[in-house]
Amino acid sequence: MASKRIVIDPLTRIEGHLKIATQVENGIVVEAKASAEMFRGIEKALIGYDARVAQQVTQRVCGVCPYAHAEAAGRALEMAMGITPNTNGKILRNLINGAYQLQDYLLHFYHLCALDFIDITACLKYEGRDETLLGLKAWVQSELKNREIFPAAPFLPRYKAAYCTNQELNVSAIKHYVEALPVMADFLKMVCIFGGKAPHPITIEAGGVTTVPSVSMIAHYQTIFEKSERFIKNEYFNDLVGVAKEFKTYFKEGRGYGNLLSYPHFFDKDGNNPIFSGGSLINGVYSPLDVNQIQEDMTFSYYQTTGSAQTKPLAFDQLIPISEHEFENEQKKESGKYSWSRAPRYKGEVVEVGPVARVVTTYKSGKNPKLNALVDKINSTLGISLEDYPSVMGRHLCRYISATLTIDLIREQLDQLEPGKVAFVEHDVPQNARGYGLTEASRGALAHWIETDDRGYIKNYEMIVPTTWNISPRDSSGRPGAVEQMLLGTKVQDSDNPVELARIVRSTDPCLACAVH
Amino acid sequence: MGENITRREALRKIYEALVVIGASAFISFEDLLAADNTVAEKPMVVWLHGTSCSGCSTAFLNIEDVPVVDLITKFVSLVFHPDLSSATGHQFIEILDQLTQSGKGYILVFEGGIPVKMPHTCMIADKPLTYWVERLAAKATACIGAGTCATLGGIASMDPVTGNIPLDRFLEQRNISKPIVNIPSCPMKPEHITYTILHLLKKGSLPELDKHFRPKKFFARTIHERCLYYADYQEGHFAEFVGDSGCLFRLGCQGPVTRNDCIIMGYNGNTNTCIKAGHPCIGCAGEKFPRQIMFHRFDDPRVIKNKF
Ligand code: SF4
Ligand code: SF4
Repeated sequence: MASKRIVIDPLTRIEGHLKIATQVENGIVVEAKASAEMFRGIEKALIGYDARVAQQVTQRVCGVCPYAHAEAAGRALEMAMGITPNTNGKILRNLINGAYQLQDYLLHFYHLCALDFIDITACLKYEGRDETLLGLKAWVQSELKNREIFPAAPFLPRYKAAYCTNQELNVSAIKHYVEALPVMADFLKMVCIFGGKAPHPITIEAGGVTTVPSVSMIAHYQTIFEKSERFIKNEYFNDLVGVAKEFKTYFKEGRGYGNLLSYPHFFDKDGNNPIFSGGSLINGVYSPLDVNQIQEDMTFSYYQTTGSAQTKPLAFDQLIPISEHEFENEQKKESGKYSWSRAPRYKGEVVEVGPVARVVTTYKSGKNPKLNALVDKINSTLGISLEDYPSVMGRHLCRYISATLTIDLIREQLDQLEPGKVAFVEHDVPQNARGYGLTEASRGALAHWIETDDRGYIKNYEMIVPTTWNISPRDSSGRPGAVEQMLLGTKVQDSDNPVELARIVRSTDPCLACAVH
Repeated sequence: MGENITRREALRKIYEALVVIGASAFISFEDLLAADNTVAEKPMVVWLHGTSCSGCSTAFLNIEDVPVVDLITKFVSLVFHPDLSSATGHQFIEILDQLTQSGKGYILVFEGGIPVKMPHTCMIADKPLTYWVERLAAKATACIGAGTCATLGGIASMDPVTGNIPLDRFLEQRNISKPIVNIPSCPMKPEHITYTILHLLKKGSLPELDKHFRPKKFFARTIHERCLYYADYQEGHFAEFVGDSGCLFRLGCQGPVTRNDCIIMGYNGNTNTCIKAGHPCIGCAGEKFPRQIMFHRFDDPRVIKNKF
């Protein structure tokens, strides 16, 4: 048997430091390990800080979806306080987070993933009159002609692969790669209007949002929104469907276990009827969310482990990274520890979180007829079914579905905002209290747990983040994590250019800074 | 295009006049863009992530003064960026090998911290980050620390166990002496880094820096000095609750001890800024960020109230 080891390290065009190591036999992946290559220790470093600091610090574990950490931290503390924000507070959070997610979907599709499918060199064959494309064409031409080193960086070099051959689609996606940038900047302006800045919106605090929305702020937000949402509905949708049709086999690639987990997300102005109802799908069976079913395992993670393999959130108040010496020893072992990521499990199972989990669990719950209708319509257009969703292309598709529902939410709630009304409820920082906060980041289910001491300072903190679920290493029973499983069985055409593996991993939008914080 | 050329020429005149009167520290983006290249070749830029969150990288994409695509095609050659480069895995290593052996200069932009106590907590291609930074900085023309983590410690250095330090301290420890620019803020503002790079490209020199290597143009003054509530502060008119009018000092504002240009130039194309959005400054560009308490009620007994 022809056996080969393929290692991608670093895997770029994601957030953070990720290494993928696979064993390939006769061109098929038979073993896969995903290693998170960074650790900052922020959770436990928070101990001794004021409980309100958690919001500001934890959003800085991730510069790509900080808003979600702000929300999870805010909610965790609100649960400990026994309060919820007022209507304006709830709406403002949705307006900040919704705009942020829309930006994030574009970033992921165009800048982090499209170049795995789209042929960037297609601009060389471009004969039309679009200035952006002609500019790019001239640039690539002169780069290839004049420069001995690094021509057309950062777009080249890339893996040799079967890229899209549809010239029209290539050209459209390249053009929108460029044009999406100012649209994304605009979405972040919407965040900034109520959030104070982006990345790292400052105003989301436990108790609501510190911004008092004025009429001019609302008008400003609305103007940008109307301009930008069109890009999602037209350019993004068309490019996405184009890629999905060209690469239809990718509805069968990177499937994984098919077990899904999602948290309720985007509530109405009264805090009810979430757009995404959350819940789990384990072995094809849907059930509503049970937070008590979440545990973590550190058997293959670079931490000193004592006691039982699986622990509940807040079960440990120290997380001790292994020393450099132990680290080297682990790497020499056949089955040693290999990741800074821990391994969360739900009902003991490995689950995938993210846009597919969000869309499929909601569909199965039957609680949002609008989502079901949209999914049914898309399925009949593309000739796919719900079973095809946990896949490379299904993940891209579900981001678009999430985006359109988010646009509707923003439009509805912007009208419900009351100008001039404070969006923040004053409350003391709770002492000796516990709470947790759940939300959905663009990348999936996110939860924070907080415990305070007798002065209202942080006694313990824990975050279980979307990528921690997806990129998790094996657990004590040796089962591969979600992305590891997605890679198994994949056919790799050329071991020097393992683009198939990159496409699978990138479809989950890994965010390593988030995952290991 | 014709209109642009005229405008460009006009700007060049202004620029020349400024150079003549020696007011180079005040040149703006437009002046920089209008100026002739003094550097013959586009500088190469290598962007590296240490223990970062990518916030500075994503902020970089929001620049409005110069379109990002123009920046990376017309002004610099972005040889490597972890979020934007197609080059993956071994291709990345080959780029760095070629670059460091080429004998050509480049700018190293560094985001995040460097864990010196536990180097194995940040690895790239099976080697610790410390190895890469040392190797790349040694051959760089200049280094730019992007964001508070890379310049003052910030979030990356919260955890005492891993021992993250900023870029300038690391270079000092390893006896690597290079021109360095520090651009704090969490995340850094894209205008600050773009201005710095354009300055280098168009004028052949770094902008004027303070003793912490921060461009004076942006970091010479505190937030407080130019705050819209400065008069309220002077008059003792303080907000006691969120939503009150007046200075946010009693809610924890760090404006008096934080150097940044937020009040003049906010975030996201000057769309808003923390204080205008009703939240006290948390000092994200400062040496003491993150503080133990950053936002509190005016009557919180736990807070030792500073007098400035
Ligand atoms: S709000 Fe802050 S920066 Fe502004 S005047 Fe008051 S203390 Fe100074
Ligand atoms: S106002 Fe303060 S916290 Fe806000 S961005 Fe400026 S320096 Fe950072």
